[in-house]
Amino acid sequence: MSGVQQSTGADVETAALGQAQMSLVDLLDRLLGTGVVLAGDVLISLAGVDLVQIRLHALITTVRADLRRPEQPGDRHGS
Amino acid sequence: MDPEEFDAPTFLTQRLKTDPDSVERDLFKLVLTIIELVRQLMEAQALRRVDEGDLSDDQIEALGLGLSRLEDAMEDLKSRYDLTTEDLNIDLGPLGTLLSGN
Amino acid sequence: MPANGLYLFAVGRGLDPAAISGVEGIDGAALEVVVWRDLQAVVCAVDLTEFGEASLARNLEDLTWLERVARTHNDVVFAVAATGTVAPMRLVTICEGEDSVRDRIEALHHDLSAALDRVEGRREWSVKVYAATAAAEPAPEPPDDKAEVGSGAAYLRRKRALADRRRAASDRSLHVADEIYGALAAAAVAARQLPPQDPRLTGRSEPMILNAAYLVAIDEGAAFRALVQRVNETHASATLEAEGPWPPYSFATLDAP
Repeated sequence: MSGVQQSTGADVETAALGQAQMSLVDLLDRLLGTGVVLAGDVLISLAGVDLVQIRLHALITTVRADLRRPEQPGDRHGS
Repeated sequence: MDPEEFDAPTFLTQRLKTDPDSVERDLFKLVLTIIELVRQLMEAQALRRVDEGDLSDDQIEALGLGLSRLEDAMEDLKSRYDLTTEDLNIDLGPLGTLLSGN
Repeated sequence: MPANGLYLFAVGRGLDPAAISGVEGIDGAALEVVVWRDLQAVVCAVDLTEFGEASLARNLEDLTWLERVARTHNDVVFAVAATGTVAPMRLVTICEGEDSVRDRIEALHHDLSAALDRVEGRREWSVKVYAATAAAEPAPEPPDDKAEVGSGAAYLRRKRALADRRRAASDRSLHVADEIYGALAAAAVAARQLPPQDPRLTGRSEPMILNAAYLVAIDEGAAFRALVQRVNETHASATLEAEGPWPPYSFATLDAP
């Protein structure tokens, strides 16, 4: 930009939009409608080879008192 | 063909890239992160249960004691491997909703 | 022979096709303009082995693939927006062929026209607001004497107090965010809130308390940017960042019917 740019900036705004420098997150938020989130999943890769995926969300849930009955004597564990 | 319908957010899986020199420390950090997540979930859930008012004083005392020891153990592990809470990056996306309550 | 489809980037109005001739489509394919009534669909040919349902499910979870397609899509939308009014399509809108594209424009003509009317002569500005500093966490308590009676309950009380302080800080942030959102909306044609972004995707440690999009007349962009700067200066607890001008993604992108 030349140093003679006027302070109102009106000519800047009517000019072309210029480079499409939006962050990828901003782009995906808008192009994907419902946005993008990082899943609670981690894919472990060693030396460029994908090996194991840990699905944390499937692994962990919190326990709500109203959905569980208290442990009774004589309950069997496991299945 | 219909345009894609996105009913749910797109879930991106994080790839943890390791190599023979880094894999030990990377896995350790991952495991500590998971332990820390479970610890924080337990604490948040314990507070919720206390609020619900159906715990005896003995249960409350025992919960608090156990969680306090867990916190100390976690601090010890972190300091031994020179890791801060930020290092563990425990903000795990949608699992955060488990922390803040449904 | 691989089956081809047409990738639909955007629907424009008043667009000069020559103005986008220098822009490439997906995988280097040439852009085409399919005209129907007063509207122009910007498309390119794509291979359905990459964009068919089966591979899409896999590709949409691959950040590398997503980035490549999203940036190409964005380059096309920017090029169209620079010379005409544009209603962008969502990522991966595929039609079978030109007839299918025209059918789609016909079916959406009312909504597309309304969207284009809404954004004609206007640009999108993104304003993100961050809490000024990450909330200072008190240092963990030194280990208690575990034999002390009632120390377990005391531990829980401390944690409860900490959670309450965090919640109060979060409530204050939300209040500030609402106030800022409204102050800026008053200076814009339209405003929308988007979900705050995951810190791991943005690389910012401070909490994002507002992710807003504003529709602003093209020649009022500089004034809007100056307003954001002023609001930033009058709010010590928040940091505002404005980006733009952008094509009106948040105001003209139609969801599939």
